[in-house]
Amino acid sequence: MDTVVQTLVNALMQSSFVALMAVGLVLIFGVMRVINFAHGEFYMAGAYVVFWLYAQHDLPFFAAVVAAMIIVGIIGLIIEQLLFKPMRENPLGGLIMSIGVLFILQVLAAVTFGVGLMKHIPPLYPGATPLFGMDGVSVPWQRLVAFGIAVLLLIGFWLFLKRTRLGWALRACAQDREAAALQGMSINRLALIAMGLGAGLAGAAGAIMAPLVRVYPYIGGPVIVTAFIVIVVGGIGSLEGAVLAAVLYTFFHTFVATYLDGTIASILGLLLMLLVLIVRPAGLLGKGEKV
Amino acid sequence: MAKKGFTRRQFTGTAAAAAGAVAASSFGAPYVARGAEKVVKLGFLGPLTGEVAGWALPGRNACLIWADQVNAAGGIKIGDDNYMVEIVSYDNEYLTDKSLIGAKKLVLEDEVKLVLMLGGTDAPAAVQFFTKQKMLSTTLLPSDLTPDTLYHLAPAEVHPLYNVTGVEWLAENRPELKTAAICAQDDELGWPSVATYLAAFEAAGIDVVYNKYFDIATTDFAPVVTAMLAENPDIVCLDTAYPDFVNLLCEQLFLQDYKGQIISCTLDFYGRIIEKTSTEFLEGLIFQFPDFDDPAMNEPHINFENPNEFFVNYNERFPDAWSAVTWEYPAIAEMWRLAAEKAGSVEPMDVFAALKEGGRGPHVFGDADWWGEELWGIDNALVGNWPVVQIQNGKATIVEYRNIIDWWNKHGELLKKHTAEQG
Repeated sequence: MDTVVQTLVNALMQSSFVALMAVGLVLIFGVMRVINFAHGEFYMAGAYVVFWLYAQHDLPFFAAVVAAMIIVGIIGLIIEQLLFKPMRENPLGGLIMSIGVLFILQVLAAVTFGVGLMKHIPPLYPGATPLFGMDGVSVPWQRLVAFGIAVLLLIGFWLFLKRTRLGWALRACAQDREAAALQGMSINRLALIAMGLGAGLAGAAGAIMAPLVRVYPYIGGPVIVTAFIVIVVGGIGSLEGAVLAAVLYTFFHTFVATYLDGTIASILGLLLMLLVLIVRPAGLLGKGEKV
Repeated sequence: MAKKGFTRRQFTGTAAAAAGAVAASSFGAPYVARGAEKVVKLGFLGPLTGEVAGWALPGRNACLIWADQVNAAGGIKIGDDNYMVEIVSYDNEYLTDKSLIGAKKLVLEDEVKLVLMLGGTDAPAAVQFFTKQKMLSTTLLPSDLTPDTLYHLAPAEVHPLYNVTGVEWLAENRPELKTAAICAQDDELGWPSVATYLAAFEAAGIDVVYNKYFDIATTDFAPVVTAMLAENPDIVCLDTAYPDFVNLLCEQLFLQDYKGQIISCTLDFYGRIIEKTSTEFLEGLIFQFPDFDDPAMNEPHINFENPNEFFVNYNERFPDAWSAVTWEYPAIAEMWRLAAEKAGSVEPMDVFAALKEGGRGPHVFGDADWWGEELWGIDNALVGNWPVVQIQNGKATIVEYRNIIDWWNKHGELLKKHTAEQG
């Protein structure tokens, strides 16, 4: 029983940052129609900002997380303005550009911080607490903090999209770019905002996970694979679908990894994605495109 | 009438002052080989970057210290000549193809006389090339050895054979521990180590209740640890895992409130692990690699000059960078120096013959035998004593030296069986 509950806890904690990654990716794709392969590198950049500011320069952890969001958001804005914008009408060009950005950011991290052992980032809150007095089940404090920040950011992001004019504009653009443009919305401006927000969320995900994972230049690889699976299962373009799929996929993966094997979990995760594509090609909450 | 130019007295004074200044400036300065002096180059071919760098870069850095010490003492004496030492490094990123490129560069362009390697993934093609070139090379992983690797030696480490000493010590000193869970990384480092631990646990009468590999792409170790702890083991065995993995596994064991015994092949940068967990949590953990400031490193059977001083020097020059294997590469280089002086030559085959002479050699932890025919088909591994190391009050402490061949003579068949089962 304890093992089942501990696995539930592990999965819940993990799902929050996966959801944070996925909604940013969905937003960027929805507004810009760019499959951003460099999204994992935004996550990596966020983790390095926390390493640099918190672990190396003693900035408070929460300030470092905010700084990571802002810095990675700005990186996103620059990339959009310089690289993605000129490729606006060329989806393949945007995709190739994002792969280029992926390598550039990896090399920048490698040159700046080295490629040796993982960076040592001590947790702000070491240790764990038993879950509701269950001695066999523990909730690590640092993971709880990461979970809390991720949930707050997701709620804030959802409120922003649902309750603000800018949020409505972003959703409108994600639903139908041409119709949004005909309503007088600036697609370039919305793309800039989407990129800044999406990158900032990925940066935040990297920042909150930095004390819990291996921080090295290629950390984005496994993360982006998971994020892609999640947005395909959730329905490309659906923010609610991304969150739902993040939770379902992470629970599935964590339980299989615990009770069977991590490698089997990754293989079955991909098969799950294929199954969803066969049964519901638009994903769990996605809408099929009109032909 | 005023005299033009230098007087004899002025000349003598100036020359003496200049000579004094030059001599004074030489003290404490790193050695730079001058044109007329003979130089012998030693190659270092290993992963200086990437996730395995922790088992190569500290060793390369230690070799630089060793070379400086040798050169400061006048170099290597070969007949009437003194050879200054130069370390030439090549970062193979632990990739087979880059390793072969590096091997060719070191041998054909740099003309090195010995190549120090970590071994494992990056070794096969490079070692094949070395054998054809009759180049002497060394590994820390004797699983590289085959009957065909004639000049490839494992003179410092016999991974993972020495892991048996930790289990044997644990069984004798904590007989109440009856079950063990093993998690291992799924690669050529992990596989033979699992076979060794399985054999050692079986020999010690400890039941293995969990034994699974994890993918080396694993990012979240919580499920791995949850699965292990579900079996309520008395001992958690981390096998041979990359330093980052050992760090994260220990952290997860701490977070999931594990209070039992831990055993691991390595525990690199354990100060960082203590910072993430606690001194109490790591207390009693058994592993196999000592710090060289350990008092037990001063015992008379140790073949390493001033290990305590070396440890201090290393940590001054490369702070917070001592890893499990730091000492092994300079220890091999020092063995090579002694053999070269004995052979009166730096040529690889002459040094090789001197190293193997008499079937015994000066292993760091005591004189040992060239051994391995039974396991790898060739007696190219120097095997003898190995330390069992325990974390005591937050510090790595040698608790005992044990003889690997003694264990093999009693339980060798078990290891052969488990090695065959692991494929």
